[in-house]
Amino acid sequence: MNSNGASSSATDGVRDSNPPKRNSKRPKYSKFTQQELPACKPILTPAIVITTFALIGIIFIPIGLASLSASERVVEIVDRYDLDCIPEQLRNDQLAFIQSSQTNKTCTRSVIVPRYMKSPVFIYYELDNFYQNHRRYVKSRSDKQLRSKASEQDTSTCAPESISSDGSPIVPCGLIAWSLFNDTYSFSFNNEVLMVNKKNIAWGSDKSHKFGRDVYPKNFQSGQLIGGATLNASIPLSEQEDLIVWMRTAALPTFRKLYGRIEEDLQPNQKITVVIENNYNTYSFGGKKKLVLSTTSWIGGKNDFLGVAYLTVGGLCLFLALVFILLYLFKPRTMGDPSYLSWNRNAAGYAD
Amino acid sequence: MDINGEARVPPSPSSLRQKFILCLPFYYVIIQRDEDHKLYVSPPIMKRFVYINENEAIKDPYCDNRISNRKYTLLNFLPKNLWEQFRRFMNQYFLLIACLQLWPLITPVNPASTWGPLIFIFAVSATKEAWDDYNRYLSDKQANEKEIWVVKDGVRKHIQAQDIHVGDVVWLRENDEVPCDLILIGTSDPQGICYIETSALDGETDLKTRVIPSACVGLASEQLQRIKGVIECPKPDKDIRRFDGNLRLFPPFIDNDLCPLTINNTLLQSCYLRNTEWACGVSVYTGNETKLGMSRGIPEPKLTAVDAMIDKLTGAIFLFQIVVVIVLGFAGNIWKDTEARQQWYVMYPEEGPWYELLIIPLRFELLCSIMIPISIKVSLDLVKSLYAKFIDWDEEMYDRDTNTPSHAANTAISEDLGQVEYILTDKTGTLTENKMLFRRCCINGIFYGNESGDALKDVELLNAVSNNVPDVIRFLTVMALCNTVIPIRSDNGTILYKAQSQDEEALVNAAACLHLVLIGRNGNTLDIKFNTSIIQYEILDILEFTFDRKRMSVVVKDCQNDKILLFSKGADEAIFPHARSGQQIRTSVEAVEQYSQLGLRTLCLGWRELEEDEYREWSRMFKEASSTLVDREWKLAEVCQRLEHDFEILGVTAIEDRLQDGVPETIETLRQAGINFWMLTGDKQNTAIQIALLCNFISSEPKGQLLFINGKTEDEVLRSLERVLLTMRITTTEPKDMAFVVDGWALEIVLKHYREVFTELAILSRTAICCRVTPSQKAQLVELLKSCDYRTLAIGDGGNDVRMIQQADIGVGISGREGLQAARAADYSIGKFRFLKRLILVHGRYSYNRTAFLSQYSFYKSLLICFIQILFSLFSGVSGTSLFNSVSLMAYNVFYTSVPVLTSVLDKDLSEKTVMQHPQILFYCQAGRLLNPSTFAGWFGRSLYHALVVFLVSVHVYANEKCEMEEMSMVALSGCIWLQAFVVALEMNSFTILQHLAIWGNFTAFYAINCIVSALPSAGMYTIMFRLARQPSYWITMTLIVVIGMGPVLALKYFRYTYRSSAINLLQQAERSRSPFFSIGNLESQLKSTEKDAASLSPQPKSRSPVCEPLLADSPTAIRRSIGSSTYDFFQPSQSRLSSSYSRNYKSK
Repeated sequence: MNSNGASSSATDGVRDSNPPKRNSKRPKYSKFTQQELPACKPILTPAIVITTFALIGIIFIPIGLASLSASERVVEIVDRYDLDCIPEQLRNDQLAFIQSSQTNKTCTRSVIVPRYMKSPVFIYYELDNFYQNHRRYVKSRSDKQLRSKASEQDTSTCAPESISSDGSPIVPCGLIAWSLFNDTYSFSFNNEVLMVNKKNIAWGSDKSHKFGRDVYPKNFQSGQLIGGATLNASIPLSEQEDLIVWMRTAALPTFRKLYGRIEEDLQPNQKITVVIENNYNTYSFGGKKKLVLSTTSWIGGKNDFLGVAYLTVGGLCLFLALVFILLYLFKPRTMGDPSYLSWNRNAAGYAD
Repeated sequence: MDINGEARVPPSPSSLRQKFILCLPFYYVIIQRDEDHKLYVSPPIMKRFVYINENEAIKDPYCDNRISNRKYTLLNFLPKNLWEQFRRFMNQYFLLIACLQLWPLITPVNPASTWGPLIFIFAVSATKEAWDDYNRYLSDKQANEKEIWVVKDGVRKHIQAQDIHVGDVVWLRENDEVPCDLILIGTSDPQGICYIETSALDGETDLKTRVIPSACVGLASEQLQRIKGVIECPKPDKDIRRFDGNLRLFPPFIDNDLCPLTINNTLLQSCYLRNTEWACGVSVYTGNETKLGMSRGIPEPKLTAVDAMIDKLTGAIFLFQIVVVIVLGFAGNIWKDTEARQQWYVMYPEEGPWYELLIIPLRFELLCSIMIPISIKVSLDLVKSLYAKFIDWDEEMYDRDTNTPSHAANTAISEDLGQVEYILTDKTGTLTENKMLFRRCCINGIFYGNESGDALKDVELLNAVSNNVPDVIRFLTVMALCNTVIPIRSDNGTILYKAQSQDEEALVNAAACLHLVLIGRNGNTLDIKFNTSIIQYEILDILEFTFDRKRMSVVVKDCQNDKILLFSKGADEAIFPHARSGQQIRTSVEAVEQYSQLGLRTLCLGWRELEEDEYREWSRMFKEASSTLVDREWKLAEVCQRLEHDFEILGVTAIEDRLQDGVPETIETLRQAGINFWMLTGDKQNTAIQIALLCNFISSEPKGQLLFINGKTEDEVLRSLERVLLTMRITTTEPKDMAFVVDGWALEIVLKHYREVFTELAILSRTAICCRVTPSQKAQLVELLKSCDYRTLAIGDGGNDVRMIQQADIGVGISGREGLQAARAADYSIGKFRFLKRLILVHGRYSYNRTAFLSQYSFYKSLLICFIQILFSLFSGVSGTSLFNSVSLMAYNVFYTSVPVLTSVLDKDLSEKTVMQHPQILFYCQAGRLLNPSTFAGWFGRSLYHALVVFLVSVHVYANEKCEMEEMSMVALSGCIWLQAFVVALEMNSFTILQHLAIWGNFTAFYAINCIVSALPSAGMYTIMFRLARQPSYWITMTLIVVIGMGPVLALKYFRYTYRSSAINLLQQAERSRSPFFSIGNLESQLKSTEKDAASLSPQPKSRSPVCEPLLADSPTAIRRSIGSSTYDFFQPSQSRLSSSYSRNYKSK
């Protein structure tokens, strides 16, 4: 606290130096109780504020540039196939096509690699207008059941996919597992198969702790309505990585999930042939399906948002700093000028 | 009632019940009469009959002496405490929410997220209650188990205090505490006198005499053990100054007369027996029915303006929440029927249950329930008790003279101190020291002490005394005799006087200085030593002082010549009209005038010789009146009136009561702060005006002007009232200190008939002096100002101020010489008047600022998280999914965001010194600039903006392959935590080490806790925090959120701070800029030059006259820049201002 010479008013209690009497009820002195803890009292001086804004601008713009360039370096191939993979004649009744078990759902697409893609190349499927975050959906799972065999019966939270028609529990239960994505992709280049590595596409922690090694699928997709993919009943859940990825529900209705990796570099202008088993029904609610091939960088996949936002914000901050400097130069205000004291100024205001 | 009681047989116990029932209708009549006749509180007619030393069966109707201050018992604690807590709307609301959450179909999160905090809050309140109650139980137990001598079956026994029954004879020794209310029937003193100290009861430290009733005089202690009789007394009440009962003894102690009992025959619970070897008495009220027990009881909780505003805002948020719920519920149902049915993976059944339509709205109700912060009550309670502690701890408000620290008895209303608009102050003992000194006198037309200023040193008076001038000697005799002073001979032979009234003590002391010494009071005889001779007087009757009679008299018999004399002293208007006709009293009237011009307190002395017959006749009436049970005070006054006439006026005494230290400065400062002062005093007009002039209360001509409202009849009063009002209206434009003066008589008429006119006057006038007012009038004036929606503070020191103190929004008691009665009834007790300045400007102002910030911030952070949930629900099919998990939500509300903001109790926007130098700054608090719908709208807007920033940034950065629920939720939550840390930091004005610890420590705690939770495999967010912390994009996102969120806030705040500065900002700049050019001294001098305008214009009625709006110096737009907190002002401040003033007008009508 500063006390630049201002005389304290006479009535302020002056602390006497005499030690208090023994039975004195005088409050004990401490800086806390007297609210006199040393405090720093920053005020918004032009210097501080202008420096802050300028500094933010100066720091933000390089970060923005770095993010943007990282995002630019990411090579991304997006191919929407949900419409194209329906034979011409069946396009009027997409639902019948996808729900029928008779129709041939195999579909061949080719994509061209625009730029050199360094391995690993991540393969994602992207769904759109798919509400994995819907309340009814997101709650319909049983983490306990997934974790251990002992909790197999624990399906209370899984309605309406908790038990099979004969009353035995479905493993894994719930709508999420039931609606597992079941399109498959296979890649080839010049008739040579590009190997897709589907190992370690799920989080390690999920595999080791959330999905039990001793839990095997049971009664899965055995009901009247078949949702999505079926599971190999002989493989424990901890190895069913597609399921594990799918069970990490997405927060937004448009999302990508990892399908696998191509561990080969892809050259520019390579024409890759993709054979898609188009099984998953997004037609009933008009959702899009896309196949995405993408490399990665330190900020993740291709996402210009951070870079653009940083550049904009940095620019705005510099602009603000400039405005404040100009204001300071052309409309100077002395700090703490008493003539601005509201009662004084308004006194004048009322007078006229 | 049969007062003569000649043939009256006490009712047998069996007929008791019947008697009660018969009395009942009568009881109601009495109560009603009370209401329009507030001056006299009549005792209830319902009586109890106490049979002295009777067997057990009869004692049955009354409780034993078990004192219980406990609110609860072990069994009823839980239900009763819960019931009390659930009487609050907020608690009911939270309970409803918590119950709804038990329905798994609709609950968005684990019910624990509401039940946890709810149970915690309830547990905290309940534990506090239980702890208090347990302490009360312990102290009760100690009192109840005290060993007491009681007569049982004719033998004296030691029993525990709790086993005393009504009718028992209790024996006390010197320095014993009285265990219950007793009627004194015997003492060691042959005259039947004993002395008690009543400090625990009313705080008065002097010794009081108590006498045994006449019927018991002369009974030996063996007889007392076998005494039988009946005492008729009112039902228990809490009036510690009154006891109207009758005593009749049974054979063999038969005494035909019904012996009246007054408060002078009682020993009340918690008093101490002093200077008396032993005393014994019959217990009449026991346990919780004693006078002390009845006057305990929990005072009505006071609600501060801030609390009221918070409640209002809570209501508004509640409405907003309902709207949101209805809109989203509607949208959700539509989405469900159109979209969700096609989403096969959601598997919506075709036919839902009948309540299907309700499910989604209810889900949103639960999701939005966090809009009303559950933590706000706990936080507010916590900081409020800390404000109170700061007051208790304040060293600068510790009074060294009397060794009294300040104390906040009411911990809940500190904010109101900062919003005080009117101070109603008592004069004597509050503004003055109440240390009376005899200064001048006028005896039989001769003025003494005019030259030297001290009559005791006036040679002429000394000569007159030594020459035995009869008038002077009589004058001194009245001074020495006409009082209730008790002389106590200390060990070294000097005589100390213990008096209930400071004036009496001053008079007796003065008489002693002039060689007429009161040396002893033995029962009814008084010994006076004049020079060397001792004169004895027998006191026949004491006509006690009351506020309405304004005089007291004694009837004494001069033992030398058996003449019966009436000595009286009192206020001039209570004595002069009763002077013997034909007597020259002009000089005395002049003397009164002259003395009160000097600010001295005057008393007129008079006497009269009584004829034997006249006295005997009167004495009978007096006795009759003193044994009535109904309206005794009033009847006594009437009887006294019959004796007090035809006085020989002896002269006038003038007593000086000095102003306390620092009173003028304090009043000056507080008036600069825009607080209006009213002085309410029982003193006479001239004295009051003089004191008012002395302490800057009013200014003398030509700067100020006094307007008098007086008159004896309604018409006169009305005319003068209207004249004053007219003058007041005209002169509001001139910078002139206007004040009106009204006396008790005119006030009575005004309050009864012209309340509205007076209300208008009250609003216009900054200063008022009301003299000759009774305690109830004081309370009525407080009530009047309160009804105009002003925040009132009443300050006083004596028993006559208690009602006004209790009535006012804030009651401040000065623990001074008139005892602690006022201090006990008050919300705050201080040692000296000058501490009021610090109490209001420092403690009140800080408390208001801090609470304003804390409460709005609590809403801000709740709204922030709630808006994010709402935004998320727009992206999740309006299905009511919660983005955050239960643990995070709970921790966010009760921990992460509650802890740092608590340190705002240490925040100081301006230093104490600056506030003291620029008290005008208090306007901001008074006008409620820091907490009103407009500032709240700012916070509301800020939370909406921040929610948008957090949500949109998280959604865009964590899109596509990163779009995972748990991660997204954690990113959004950390965004909120980052933002709130910076918001608190930006709004905080001063950082002590504790603030840094709380803000940044909380920040690290957030990460520490989440890392720990992320390490638990069973937790939903296992490894999430580690994954995020490894991603550079997470940290970049956080920085982005903070800069986008805080950048505009900072820029706006800076712009306002520099280019649209409020007075607070300017003073902050002045205080903290180290540049010598703008040092405070410099500022001060510049301020001085404009001070006149500031002082005259800002607080002047002008700005508020059209709409009765106080203290709005700033233009309405100024509210908007009142403080940087409001980023977005949605409400037009002028509008809200207008509406509030409308309501105010209506209220006053």
